Order: sequence, then C-alpha cells, then structure tokens
Amino acid sequence: MFKKLIEESTGKSPWLFHINAGSCNGCDIELVSVLTPRYDAERLGFQLAGSPRHADIVVVTGPITRQSLNRVLRTIEQVPEPRCIVTMGSCPQSGNVFRGSYAIAGPLSKYVHVDVDVAGCTPKPEAVIDGLALAAKILQEKRRAMN
Amino acid sequence: MDLPFAVEAIKGLFSKPSTAMYPAKPSTAAENYRGRIVFHPEKCINCMMCERVCSGHAITHTIEKTEEGDRITRTFYLGSCTFCATCMDFCNENAIEFTRDYHMIATKEEDLMVSGTFIKKPPVRKPKPAAPAAAKPAEAPAVAKPPEATADAKPEAEKTAAAAPVKSAESAPAVKAEPEKAAAPAPAAAPIEPRDDGKPVSDPSKCVYCGICAKKCPMQAITVDRASKTWTLDEDACIACGTCAECCPKKCIIM
Repeated sequence: MFKKLIEESTGKSPWLFHINAGSCNGCDIELVSVLTPRYDAERLGFQLAGSPRHADIVVVTGPITRQSLNRVLRTIEQVPEPRCIVTMGSCPQSGNVFRGSYAIAGPLSKYVHVDVDVAGCTPKPEAVIDGLALAAKILQEKRRAMN
Repeated sequence: MDLPFAVEAIKGLFSKPSTAMYPAKPSTAAENYRGRIVFHPEKCINCMMCERVCSGHAITHTIEKTEEGDRITRTFYLGSCTFCATCMDFCNENAIEFTRDYHMIATKEEDLMVSGTFIKKPPVRKPKPAAPAAAKPAEAPAVAKPPEATADAKPEAEKTAAAAPVKSAESAPAVKAEPEKAAAPAPAAAPIEPRDDGKPVSDPSKCVYCGICAKKCPMQAITVDRASKTWTLDEDACIACGTCAECCPKKCIIM
C-alpha cells in the first residue's frame, strides 16, 4: 500500500535536472522562465533538482560539444532509473547551425535513448511545458513497467 | 516609521497572480511568430535556393524518376531548423510558410519532419524553326544576340532585321550575312521581348557581363564570358525561377 502511495506521488512530482551541453543560453533562459512564476511549472509538480541523483527528468540543451560529451553521459548515468531524457531546442537533436563543426559530438541520440524532443530555436515556454508533461507521462509508464 | 513597499504589498494582496495558466488556458503565439513550417509543394519549382541558404541543413530532397517526370519530395527537419526564415525569404514562389503553431513535441524523429511531394514535368520542347545547325542546340536560340549567320542568308535580310525588332527564337533565322565583331550588339535600338515560356532574356545593350546572374543561378544554367561578351542560357537546365532577373544590377534580364 505504501509503495503504491509513493508511486502515485512521485508520478505527480517529477524533478528536473538541467544539463547545458554547450548551449547558447537561449534554451536555458526559457527553461528558467518555465520554472519561475510567469509560467510556474512548479504548480504542475516540476521542480528543479540540484543533483542528478535526485532527478527523474533530464533536460539537455546545447549541441553536445566534444568537451561536454563525457560529462553529459556521466551525469545522465547518475540519474536513477526510471529516468526520462528530454532534449530542448534543435541543438541536441541535430546540431542545428553548429552541425558539421569539429567541436560537436552530437546529436545526443547517438549515445543515449532520447524520450522526448522539443523542437524550436528556442521553444516557446508553452511548448516546454507540453514536452515536460509528455515526459512525466512516459516516466510514469516506465515506473509501472519496472514494478 | 517608513514603510516603502506598503502600498505595493497591499496591492499585491488583491491583484490576480501574474502566472499564465497555460495548460488550462491555451495561448496563441504572437503575430509573425515563426513556428512549424508549412510547405506548399504545388508552388515549388525545385530551384533549391532554400537548401542552399539553410544554415542548419534542415532541408533535403529526394528525386524519384517516374514516367510523368521527376517525383521530388522536399523534407524540412524541424529538429534541425533555426526558424530564421531565410528559406522563406529566398523562395521566389512563396512555397514555404511559417505558421504560429509552436507545438513541436515529438517522441520520434519522424514527427518533426514536414515534407511535400510534387512532380516536375520535363520541359516541353517546341519544334525549332529551321535554325542553323552549326551551333550547339542548347545555345543557339538562347543567345540574346541575333542568331548565327547562315550561309545562304542574303544581304537584304540584314537591312530588314536591323529595322524590325528581333524576336528571340520565333523570328526568321536569316539575320546577318557578314561575320561581325562579337562585341558589337547588332541592332542597338531593338527592344528585347520577353519569351513566352517564362525563361530569361538578356538585353545586350544594357548588360555589362558582370556574371552575377551566372553565380546566383541555382541550376548553373547561365554562362557569362566577360572576354567575348556573351550571355548564354542553357535552356534545359533553366527552371525560370527569376533569381537572375532579381539579382541583375543593371536590370537587363527580362523574364
């Protein structure tokens, strides 16, 4: 019974961890605007976690530079299962305008399974909220499949 | 006692929260917001300008040969798009449109693909008049100068040609008998008439042979030789997109 209660409550409050993998800062600012009072994703249960070990959803921004690749993968590994990986903006999906650069190791889907893509450069905060809601749904399904 | 923010604090007690209640209240993007791309394949002429200018390499195409013509599928990958709208600006036919739809969320890559298919028919060949056989077939009618001299043309024909305006391909092939200097555009006052198939014609009296049109042509259909002052159009390659006429600094190309 207790386990079920925990399962239900964690599904209602997924915690985010944000990784900047060489982003231009546009997506980072939009993510902050999603979490701050103007769009206030916290009223929907999303909260920014300070440590990857506390997180359920990983939001990756930026085109995965060669410098950051190893660190991104190590950080994602530290997030406990079940986890959900969300790419924000066009960069982690394809490299965007940085595609073909010697410094880019992306796209992220080459290394880990990406659950949700939020396209846009940068995505509108409403689109980010939609993407996070979809990620929370996928997370809940994953959690049920594990138990 | 001084309470500097007392008024603000009391106001805040009674005012509504500034939070946008997004999922409950749907919001529309601002006017001119550049969201999901809509492609109109029926307008596209496959000039490939959009693919050349795309900084994110988001636009690709595949060509499939069929009996009716080339079956071209142009695909826009929104996951690689910067939404800079350069493709829309460069599109002469307004085949690319940015909408205010910002819901671009996908679990699969295919969900972010916008594509359109159209069939490009091969150019219809008009039966040529008895043109001189000496020149190459692609070049002969396209040179904006009078057609090549034929051996049997009479000197009288030259006088009539100088008086009457010379049309490009439809006019009688007899124009000149004596070989002239290539640099001298023959009938100086003759107005250049647009062709009926929509392809460009250059006015030799205005043209400075800068070669910008040849550089800008997406199909490399125009050849400009500065030394011999010739402007040549490869009719088979030309798709009548209008880029040459637009970029011409002397505005001497007529579509």
